[in-house]
Amino acid sequence: MYVFPKGLYADIRIEHSKTAAYTVQNGEVKQNSETSVTGAMIRVYDGKMWYTGVTNDTDKIQEELDGLAALAEPDPDIENVPVVKMFEVHKDKVLRFDGDNDVRKITRKQREELLQGYISACVDEDIPELKQWYAGYSQAHIIKEFYSSKGAEIVQDYQQCGFWVWFDFVVNDIKTSGGRSFRGMDFDKLFGHEQEVIERRDRYLDFAKNAVDVTPGDYVCVLAPAVTGMFTHESFGHKSEADFMLNDKTLQDEWVMGKKVGSDLVSICDSGDMLHRGYIAYDDEGTAPRETWLIKNGVLTGRLHDANSAATLGEELTGNARAQDFGYLPMVRMTNTYMEPGDISHEEIIAGVDDGIYVYNVNYGTGQGTFTMQPNCCYRIRNGRLAEPLRVNVVTGSVFRTLFDIDAVGNDMEFCDTSTCGKNGQSMPVSDAGPTIRVRKLTIN
Amino acid sequence: MERELITSRYLYRSVKIKETKINTFSKDERTDRSFRVYDGEYAGVQFVQGMADEEEQFAKAAENLSLKRPYKFALETGTRHRDKTERGYTDRELMDIAHEAVEYLKTHHPDFIISGEIYVSTSTKAIKNTLGLDLSNTDSTLDIEIAFKHKDSKDIDDGWFSIGQRDFDFKKFTDMADNYLTNFTNRVELPEELIIQEQYYGYLGKLNECLNAENMALGTSLLSGRIGEKVFADGFTLTHDVSDKETWFTPFFDGEGVVQPNDRRVFIENGVLLSGYADKYTADKYGVPHTGSAGINMTDIPYNGYVNLRIERSEKTVKELLDGRLTVVPIIAAGGGFNDKGEYVTPIQTAMLCDGERFIGRLPEFAIKGNMFDMFGRDFIGVGSDDPVFNDKQILMRMQYSK
Repeated sequence: MYVFPKGLYADIRIEHSKTAAYTVQNGEVKQNSETSVTGAMIRVYDGKMWYTGVTNDTDKIQEELDGLAALAEPDPDIENVPVVKMFEVHKDKVLRFDGDNDVRKITRKQREELLQGYISACVDEDIPELKQWYAGYSQAHIIKEFYSSKGAEIVQDYQQCGFWVWFDFVVNDIKTSGGRSFRGMDFDKLFGHEQEVIERRDRYLDFAKNAVDVTPGDYVCVLAPAVTGMFTHESFGHKSEADFMLNDKTLQDEWVMGKKVGSDLVSICDSGDMLHRGYIAYDDEGTAPRETWLIKNGVLTGRLHDANSAATLGEELTGNARAQDFGYLPMVRMTNTYMEPGDISHEEIIAGVDDGIYVYNVNYGTGQGTFTMQPNCCYRIRNGRLAEPLRVNVVTGSVFRTLFDIDAVGNDMEFCDTSTCGKNGQSMPVSDAGPTIRVRKLTIN
Repeated sequence: MERELITSRYLYRSVKIKETKINTFSKDERTDRSFRVYDGEYAGVQFVQGMADEEEQFAKAAENLSLKRPYKFALETGTRHRDKTERGYTDRELMDIAHEAVEYLKTHHPDFIISGEIYVSTSTKAIKNTLGLDLSNTDSTLDIEIAFKHKDSKDIDDGWFSIGQRDFDFKKFTDMADNYLTNFTNRVELPEELIIQEQYYGYLGKLNECLNAENMALGTSLLSGRIGEKVFADGFTLTHDVSDKETWFTPFFDGEGVVQPNDRRVFIENGVLLSGYADKYTADKYGVPHTGSAGINMTDIPYNGYVNLRIERSEKTVKELLDGRLTVVPIIAAGGGFNDKGEYVTPIQTAMLCDGERFIGRLPEFAIKGNMFDMFGRDFIGVGSDDPVFNDKQILMRMQYSK
């Protein structure tokens, strides 16, 4: 089908995406659109450098491939270049979303009815503090083809659909925003969440009325499951992405396998083949995903790789080379990352805190050595019970210390299937998961 | 029925650097088009990326009138074309600059592991309609973005710097690299008085939200009900500025084809709030001034939100504004930000002590706090007339240390 140039490795990644969006703000429809985009990335490697091109015209892929090959310097022994040897060769078609569950079959009317149902049930304009509200639905269906000069031929699909309802409350001239979003792979499962949206609406209204400013300092913190998911992703997940440590002896020594990096209670895993938001049938270099235990009982046991990082560090592929879309180069990214649950309840964990902070929900986080999370809803814990809502700006901790400070891991693991991870200018759908956990010390501002 | 076509064309060629080596040469060229038809009451919109027959796409846009996307406003007219391109770069020239940059960093700063990208990008945005509107804006730069990590550091990276220029001057790049890397391992103490020196775009996000005329009308903005009041410092003037001087890929027209007189609109003058920003719909709905602030929405009707916010420069240089005082320049400040009350807190993972022009040494990790009304009010020192450190405009303001 494609004539691959001699003496070079090359791969072609074609994507066909169809998206739809329907959003409403204060009763007015702000967006009602459908889009369809096809495009391809062509990569050529000569053992020293990559040459890549992007096109929307799939009839010109061969021309693009030949043009890139002309820039490269062929190597007769290209098959034995370490990174090229690493690339897996699969011939497979994995279409999980082309049957009755295909979101492309969802009509505009069905999307509008779903969202209008939630608006009718959950937006109460008689609440005097409610000044603005937003509701939206979006969906995406993507078919990816992958062909390589080593013989890989893969066709896979992916889809997401979801909705959100968001509220702006104003109390004493201060706005508080909060709401609920649901995202998944099955349109039918988006129905029936009205009470969860209403619970969240009422929680943020209560927060708007009663939250007090926190006194900055170090606190014992209990993280709700969704927060633990982000904590897992930010505090350690990014340090498990091996592309940051290549040819860096300091980091290779710091993150050596078998090193104790956290308390015995901490086990963290990444797995791309779970049907959550970070699902992949194959990564964007054609590698099948693995279940990769990054930490087992506090001991460093694995890290995430693309072919280059695995070849450089002499480790096994994990299937974590991912690209935002056909316009971007793949790099090492998380997929579905979770902290393994423990065996005690959420209530028992909170009961063990005399004075601390319960972090209920967060907006976003960052993953340097000092990781951060920006909460949008916290509560004081006094004498083992939740007390007044707290306004907290940012939670920070050090990856080198905090994993050792985890002294309780709950049995209530939840997946957060609404996360998007940013790295080097690329946004990637991921899923984070974890149970309620307790951390002996985090810095609160 | 009138027709309108919005085109966004993007050309990009890049050389990527990994572990202080040239790793990848990439090229990308894409054209997005939004075909739009108007019947006086509604707009029909059809988005296409890549090749497509124009008549077919306009026909699909006409079909989409059935979605009843409201648009009752008169379309714009007028002709203007602006091209800010100063020079072009061949693939060979780009590769040569990349090799020269990597070689310079390897030779002069061998203790750092470097990654990043050197790229040439050219962007054209255009809008035309059957009433005679014909506007286009083109800009092109060569940018170098460098992330650095000291070989002994245990963090993923230690910092970054970037420089974008229309006519690339290698000396400006090496000056910047030397400034960031030469004293990076020189550890210094935090100064008692905390004066932040930084490009200001990141601090304007909250103000952008607050100036949205809809938020102001509905009471969800911290600036609601304060038009005509002095809200910030005397020296604080905030404009939407897409003039030749301040443009940086930003078109001189908004998503409805509206052009501002002199390419400029003042929202806050000498600390006094004049108005929020509004597209035609928002202005009509809330009875507020129309400020030509429609964002380009390629897939649907415009949204309110196109502002290129600029704080007016002082007549004094950064050094003159500082008058002998030292500043703190955040290099990595990830996390935190403004809360709903307008309070700002963020941890600073990497920062340098600076005399306004040259870095003196690296500071320990700390956190800063402030409040929007103080940062642009009593604690606002100014935006210098010159561009040291960043090759771009920068704010000077006092802030406080936090936990």
